[in-house]
Formats: sequence, structure tokens, C-alpha cells
Amino acid sequence: MADLLGFVSAQFLVSVLVYAVIVHVLLAGAGYFTYLERKISAYIQDRVGPNRTGFDLGLPFLGFLKGLWGLGQPLADGIKFMLKEDYTPGKVDKVLFTLAPGIVVIPALIGFAVIPWGGVWDCPSFTIPLLNLHVAGGPVQIAALPVNVGVIYMVAVTSLGVYGITLGGWASNNKYSFLGGLRATAQMLAYELPLGISLLVVLLMVGSLLPMDIIRYQEANGWLLLSQPIAAIIFFIAMLAEANRVPFDNAEAESELVGGYHTEYNSMRFALFFLAEYSHLAVSSAFFVLLFMGGFQLLPFINDPLTATGATGLLAVLAKLGVYFGKVLFMVLVIMLVRWTVPRLRYDQVMSTAWQGLIPLSLVVLIATSVAVFFGLPQGFSHVLLLFGGNLVLFVVLWYVVGRLPAYNPNRKIPLLGSRFYPLPGERVDHAPSDPMAREDRPYEGALPTA
Amino acid sequence: MTVQEQDILRIAPQPMSAGERFYVREVVVGFGTTLRHLVTSFGQGKVFPGKNTSRTLQYPEERRENIPVEQGGLNASNFRGIHRLNRDEEGRVKCVACMMCPTICPANCIHIVAEESPWDDREKYPKKFEIDELRCIFCGMCEEACPVDAIELTTEYDIVGQSRQEMIFDKEKLLHVYDVTINKKPM
Repeated sequence: MADLLGFVSAQFLVSVLVYAVIVHVLLAGAGYFTYLERKISAYIQDRVGPNRTGFDLGLPFLGFLKGLWGLGQPLADGIKFMLKEDYTPGKVDKVLFTLAPGIVVIPALIGFAVIPWGGVWDCPSFTIPLLNLHVAGGPVQIAALPVNVGVIYMVAVTSLGVYGITLGGWASNNKYSFLGGLRATAQMLAYELPLGISLLVVLLMVGSLLPMDIIRYQEANGWLLLSQPIAAIIFFIAMLAEANRVPFDNAEAESELVGGYHTEYNSMRFALFFLAEYSHLAVSSAFFVLLFMGGFQLLPFINDPLTATGATGLLAVLAKLGVYFGKVLFMVLVIMLVRWTVPRLRYDQVMSTAWQGLIPLSLVVLIATSVAVFFGLPQGFSHVLLLFGGNLVLFVVLWYVVGRLPAYNPNRKIPLLGSRFYPLPGERVDHAPSDPMAREDRPYEGALPTA
Repeated sequence: MTVQEQDILRIAPQPMSAGERFYVREVVVGFGTTLRHLVTSFGQGKVFPGKNTSRTLQYPEERRENIPVEQGGLNASNFRGIHRLNRDEEGRVKCVACMMCPTICPANCIHIVAEESPWDDREKYPKKFEIDELRCIFCGMCEEACPVDAIELTTEYDIVGQSRQEMIFDKEKLLHVYDVTINKKPM
């Protein structure tokens, strides 16, 4: 028996437990993120938001659970999604149409596996009673998947989600859905680059792919948000684009594409898309917190005994979990504020922001950082001061340089034959517009069409 | 008519300065606006009381009738709700079936079938009097047109029905509306 269960170690048991707990926290969290989003958008727009649905389920003896600031809304939504007719339109690709929501959800639910939520726990040795299996204790990571290539796993998994979106859009046999999927793909291709490059900046400084090493580095040298603010902001913007969040939600732009890739979906399958979107939000926030906000460290430079990486007690693990979840919640709130502040970019603006803005900018930061790393960086507080100052200088220089570059003008008047800018003032006309009404519209003197 | 060249006003947007092209200031100011609204309407003024807090009327529990007119309450003297048919002192319908209201009604929602009056004080009375409350636009023209003050708009606005037929108010129903609203809005 003990031979068969030889793979069972303390780390294995803890990983299974952490995964089981976090998946359910995330699923419930995704539901309550919808509630939070509705409430916050309501307050920002001077409304009240959901405030009637409690947990009384219409039963008189549960009347004291009525209301409760609308906290029962996610539950009611879930029940509604479950009970609705699961309708499949006639001419869709049935296999891919059914598969797509699953392909969207799976990356969203395995992406957080490498996040070290609670740091390291010094597990005592114990024996499982019925199996009579002795498990040796030792330091275990409070992460579902403590692997060496943690960061690469994270990048790989979070970018898989777009496959489901594209498949769903294609399988729907609907022009708008297809355009939504297409946009999601193009956007993903464009924003993977600044995401990866700003991630490289972090990896250059840390010199390790281990999530715990990134946290240890930030504990010693201050949060990377302070020492690499430009890279952090680029990462944040690219993260929004990856998660298909406003202002980069072109894939589901209501005003242009009906509902985008999920136009043809309803009931629980639509809910799965929604679920994936919100869990992606949480996972990206957790990733950002890991890379730039010191993971589970409460405050930069203050090594309090509970949230330091050296603390391995059970209480420390719980404190770290609390701090990590708090930071993720904070990031989610910031992303929701961004949603109601920045308007959605036009499609060409999305592309030019990535290719002409973020990618050159992140490359400049990458080169500057690699030069700084080559010449060696001081430790501790002066590290942050130096790099923050460097970022500030870089920003001012870029501000000065970019302001003097020729402006990108997407709305220039193109004098195509037959367009309303034809001919531009001062231009000679050689071809007559074939439409007599168009000829009547443009009585240009000296440049009359040669009929 | 052709648009002439001298009629066209060509407007080019102001070129953006170096700072504006980064959108840093704009985004920061936008965040400020968003946060201000978030804070001022959080808890509907109970948490952070102030002059600019928003206030939402929780409708079925709070009603505009119970609020002073100065604070956005319902002004009963000129509010136009559903119709009623008034009764005279003897309890008979006051209408004389003169057909003024269906004539002036812009939504064509009033239908009257007149008949010779059984009473001596008038020639005609409405045998049928129907108002389609779903077609009605509540303009109050019928009230204005009525020469004997028989049709009036009450302050009732929360009416429901389970079918379209139910929302076509006949004479009995309109007279019943008079009976229940006469104390609320005297003639």
C-alpha cells in the first residue's frame, strides 16, 4: 500500500488542497466580481445597483435574509443561467460551438496554479490514519504547482484563453462573432509582445523564473512597481488587453459587433465565457501582484514578522494569504475603475497603441535595464531610488522626443476617386466621376472634370 | 440644392501638444472624476453626506406623492395620470356624449357610443365609453375639451393589467376610478 502511494508527499497533499480551495474561491469570486462590478459601476454613474436580491428565496420564514444589499444577485444569476434553455442555433459548427466555452474556461482555472499564495509552510510530519501512511514533513509551498518555470507557465496559460474566444466566434457562423474572434486574435498577438518584454525587464533584474524568487527579490530591494514603474504600467495595459477588458474589449464591442464572439451563446455556455473573463481578471491581477507588488509582502521595505518570506508558521501562511487576496482585490478594483474612466479604443487605435507605443517603449526600458544590470545595481533602498530616478528621466526624455515626432494621423483625407475628399482643394481633376450627381456636387473652378 | 464651396466651413481639430499625446494628464483627471462620483454616491449620501450626493428614490417603498413638490415630489394639481369619468350629484355619469374628447384626442384612444338619454336634463348619454390606456399619451386634451367637466385625469400612474384587453377601460371602470379617487383629487 505504501509503495503504491509513494508519490504522496507533504507538498502533493498541500498542492491538492490549495488547488481545491483556490478553484472554489475563484469560482465564487468570479460570481461576486460581477456583483462588485455592477455595484461599482452603479456608484460611479450615481445609481444604486443591485440591492433587492437577498437569500430569502421567496420563503416567508427566511424573511430576515431579504435585501442584504443585493448580495444574492450572483446566486440568482447562476440559477437563472442553469435553468434557461440551452439553445444551439441551427447552422453552427456543433462540435466547436460546444467545445469553445470549455476551452475558454480551462486556462482561466489553471492559470493561478503557480501563484505562491501563502509562501512557504513548515509542514510537520504526520501519519494518515486509515492508510497507515507516514508523510515526512518539511517546507512546502502554498501553491498548486511549485515548478521552476512558473512565470513561463503563467504567460503560456493566460494566452491560451484566446483560442476559445476565436473558436467560439468562428463556430457561431455569424459575421459579428467572427469579427469579434478575429479582433481578439489580432489584439492578443499585438499585446503579447509588450507583456513579454516588460516581463523580461522583471526577469532580467530578478534573474530567476521562480515565483518565490521574484518575491524574495522584491523583499530585499523594494517592490518592482517602485523601481520599474514604466514596465509596470506597460504590463498593466497589456494585461487589460489580454483579459479583453475595457478599454480593449473590441472583441465584444456592443456598439459595433452586437455581442462579439458570444453573440450566439446563451444560458450556461454564455455564463462560462463570463466566468472565464472574470477569473482571467483575478488571475492577471494575481500575476501583476506577484511581479510588481511584492506578492504577499504587506508593505515595501518593512519586513514584518508575519508576511516575510522567512516566516513559515501556520499563522504567517494565513496572513500572507490574506495580504495576497487583499492585493488582488485592490487590483480588480483598479481595473474596474479603469473600465469606467477610459473609453474603448477604436480598432486602429488599439493596434497603434501596441505597435507604435507600447512595444518601442518597452524595448527602450528593456535596453536601459539590461545596461543597468550589466553595470551592477546597488542593493536595498538606493536600488529603488536609482531605478525610479532612471525611469523618471527616461519618461521625460521620451515625452520630449515623442512630442517632436511626426504625428500619427489616421483620419487624413484620402483623395480617392469618388470619395468625398476628391479632389482636394488645389488638385487637378483628370477623371470625371461616373455618377452625374457626383459631378454636380463638385463644381471646382479650373479643375473641372474632363467630361 | 447643391452645397456650395463658400457654404462649407472646414474645421480641423487642434493639433495635440507633446504632453497631450501621452494622455497622462487626461487619464489622471478622468480617474479623479470617476472616484469623486464613486465616493459621493456610495451609500446614497448616508455614508458621506454632502451637497452633491445623489439620491435614488426606492420606488415601491418611497413614492413621489409623499415628497414635497420643491424636492421633486409629485405636483397633484397638474399631474396627468389615468382618466376617470365624473359623476353628478345624483350619481349618474356626467358625460353628455358630445364627442369632443374623441375628436380632439391625438392618439385616437377614446371610443364613445352615444344613445338617447333616459334623463330629462340632456339629450344624449354614453352607452359605451372606452379609453385604451395603452394608446393614450396622457396629454390631457380630453380634459381641456370637455364642456361639462365629465372626463378628468387623476394622479394615479401605477396601473397594471395582465392583457391588452384589460387595459381598455370601459365606463364602469372609469366610474369606479372616480369613486376611489374623489377624496384624493376633488373635482
